[in-house]
Amino acid sequence: MSQTILVVDDSPTIVKFVSFSLRNSGFEVVAASDGMDAIEKMSHLSGDVDLVITDLNMPNLDGYGLIGTLRQNERYRQTPIIILSSEDGEDDRQRGMEVGANAYLVKPFKSALLLDEVGKFLKK
Amino acid sequence: MTLSTSLQDIIQKEIASLTQSVNGLVENLHRMKSPLVESHDKVPQATNQLDKISQQTEAATNRMLDVIEQITQREQQIITGLQHIGEEVSGQPAAKKIDELCELATTNMNDAYSVMDALQFQDITSQQMNHAASLLEEIESKLKNILQTMGADAKVLTQVESAKKVRTYDPHADLFERKTEQAVIDSLFDKSKK
Repeated sequence: MSQTILVVDDSPTIVKFVSFSLRNSGFEVVAASDGMDAIEKMSHLSGDVDLVITDLNMPNLDGYGLIGTLRQNERYRQTPIIILSSEDGEDDRQRGMEVGANAYLVKPFKSALLLDEVGKFLKK
Repeated sequence: MTLSTSLQDIIQKEIASLTQSVNGLVENLHRMKSPLVESHDKVPQATNQLDKISQQTEAATNRMLDVIEQITQREQQIITGLQHIGEEVSGQPAAKKIDELCELATTNMNDAYSVMDALQFQDITSQQMNHAASLLEEIESKLKNILQTMGADAKVLTQVESAKKVRTYDPHADLFERKTEQAVIDSLFDKSKK
């Protein structure tokens, strides 16, 4: 059974790009346009999400808020979370680490690099 | 008495000069009002244009991503097909040609992935345009305050402003400038896990 990755970004281009790379590597992808949408989609899933890839700056609920919410939930306390952001300042990375992210990828990135990061957490 | 009359004259002259200055100032403010209103009204046009560029490049980029996905799927089918044929003609002269074709198809597929990677420019430029649009909206709001102080019709000013959208963007989004290498970021996160 393939593993499920939740991709959260308000940019349809990034969602399409990331989803394509992941699906092509055999992962199931659930896409969401912001943190609130992600929580809603997760609540309707019958199975677990194995990994979350999220942007930071998004409307309604941003990436920090989403990660914080997931880390408070017993079901997703240990789920690997990768941040995707165009911000590569130290403050953003530090804050990402503090809220509980496991990795941080700076946009734009190569799809191969994304798959390498995913591979650190999910073995196929 | 002569001194008092002279003082009165001086004060009158000063008041007349002050009145003239104030009148001049009021006239100048009136003259400024019209270009300020015009500038205020043009800001939403500029932000709309930026939003249009974002929407249209997004639509085009997504179309390209769809086509690239189809191309890579077809290339994958070609590679699989060629590999099958290669197994059947193993040891024959055609096998070498099939290997070459397989290599070409793989190169095509990798190039398609590179194009796909490069299409992330749309997300970055869209964020830059959102940043620019939000700066323009800030200017619009400041112009509105000035115009209201100058007595402009608040109803007209609010009408233009009501169509604003929620903007989220990374203010430092950049295609080329990167402060930190990915390996350094990875090592920071690895350390935090230990």
